[in-house]
Amino acid sequence: MSLLRRSPVLDTGIFALFEASGSNAQRACVLLRDMLQDFPERSDLARDILKCEQDGDRITHDIIHRLSGNGHRPEPHRFGAGDLYSLAKRLDDIVDYAEQAADTLVIYGIEAPMEQAEGLAEVLVQASTAVNAALGALRSEGELQGLLVEIHQLENEGDRLSRDAIAALFANGIDPMVVIRWKDIFELLEEAIDSCESVAHTLEGISLESR
Amino acid sequence: MRDHLHAVASFPDSSELPPVASPQQGALRLAVIDADSGFVHVLSKRLEGMGWQFRSLTSAPPLDELVAQRLNALIVDPTCLGARGWDFLEQVCSALPGLGVLVCTGRSTVAQRVRGLRLGADDWVTKPCHPSEVIARVEAVARRRRRARMQEETGPLVVGELEIRLDQFQAFAAGRSAELTRREFEVLQLLVDAQGQVLQREEIYQRVWGYAMAHGDRSVDVFVRKLRHKLERSSPAWVYIHTHFGIGYRFEAQLKSAADVLGEEPAAPDRPPGALADPATSA
Repeated sequence: MSLLRRSPVLDTGIFALFEASGSNAQRACVLLRDMLQDFPERSDLARDILKCEQDGDRITHDIIHRLSGNGHRPEPHRFGAGDLYSLAKRLDDIVDYAEQAADTLVIYGIEAPMEQAEGLAEVLVQASTAVNAALGALRSEGELQGLLVEIHQLENEGDRLSRDAIAALFANGIDPMVVIRWKDIFELLEEAIDSCESVAHTLEGISLESR
Repeated sequence: MRDHLHAVASFPDSSELPPVASPQQGALRLAVIDADSGFVHVLSKRLEGMGWQFRSLTSAPPLDELVAQRLNALIVDPTCLGARGWDFLEQVCSALPGLGVLVCTGRSTVAQRVRGLRLGADDWVTKPCHPSEVIARVEAVARRRRRARMQEETGPLVVGELEIRLDQFQAFAAGRSAELTRREFEVLQLLVDAQGQVLQREEIYQRVWGYAMAHGDRSVDVFVRKLRHKLERSSPAWVYIHTHFGIGYRFEAQLKSAADVLGEEPAAPDRPPGALADPATSA
């Protein structure tokens, strides 16, 4: 079902930037998952994730610059500039939280991963993959609704995993330092997944307005 | 500094003493630093009955005085030492590694207990407590010290091609260090001490990290993987750590088959696979 039926005035450049942002977010999430699976051996991946974060900032800046018209009259879009601005920021949040999680693993001197963190990272990869696909659908006017539903379901799964993970930390006799470290990391992973859902909400709003 | 002497009214000069009294020889030499006179009185009555040599202090003695007393254990309440309680604890634990140190104090926070244990205290008891429990804990600390001393005295443990040196917290193969970290060595030592028994992950974590293992924590797997890699690198013809899926790990030295070690001629084992040979006893 296509939700994007309004006669478009396409700015293909800005769609390319959104797709680059989506791919960048997906890449950061895949790197984070790989880093977690083989932590601390693959802690070097934190550098690549930081590079994604810097690329994400640059792409977001380019989008905002393009939306503002680059000092000229902005190019017309079939979507509101406010919605596109919000979409750009939400996409950037995914990379920011992924980068923060990677950085925290290193800063906190984590000795080994936890299974729950790997589970959350896997959900994050799936959610960011769906986000990336949804951005492609935005340009091609393809099937968007199914992808948005998938992102919402993944966010629910992330919530469940995060709750169980934090509950496991508060069992009797656990090292308080382990609790402090991992609670922060679980929360950052959950924030990254929530950001994917925020992207889905924004896309949903855009698709409704464009009907 | 007030100084109360009990049981054998005072410690004789160290020059008159035999080597440090060991727990298996009976009485322990114990000092208590505590301003709680009621607690000290009750404890001293018990210790007198047991024939332990016991000295009570209400402030921190100079370290050299503690050294000269050749104590087996020290019970200390850091709160009676004021602001320098933590410093004193750290200095004692660092200067007297053979001394069992037990903190016995009032209510404390988790952070305070963690700090005390990390500074080197062997145990922590919260008041109000029964003197029998305090004594039992001192005995347990002394027992652990005795075991450690016995292991040090028996020299390195040789298993497969590995020489495990407790005094250096390190394993060697053909004289070359496996470059184990402290924690990797502790995991190795625990597995070796189990003498071929399978140890569950939770038990390994509890005994090496000192806390309960959080569900999903992969620390044990990661450290065993690192340990296995380093042992493999140092002694490629042997397999030492065996995985029991879903349970844990077991230590047993086994010579790899020739097919496993391509291009290398495995040395003939000088003892049955898995035998833990101690040069002190096998010589």
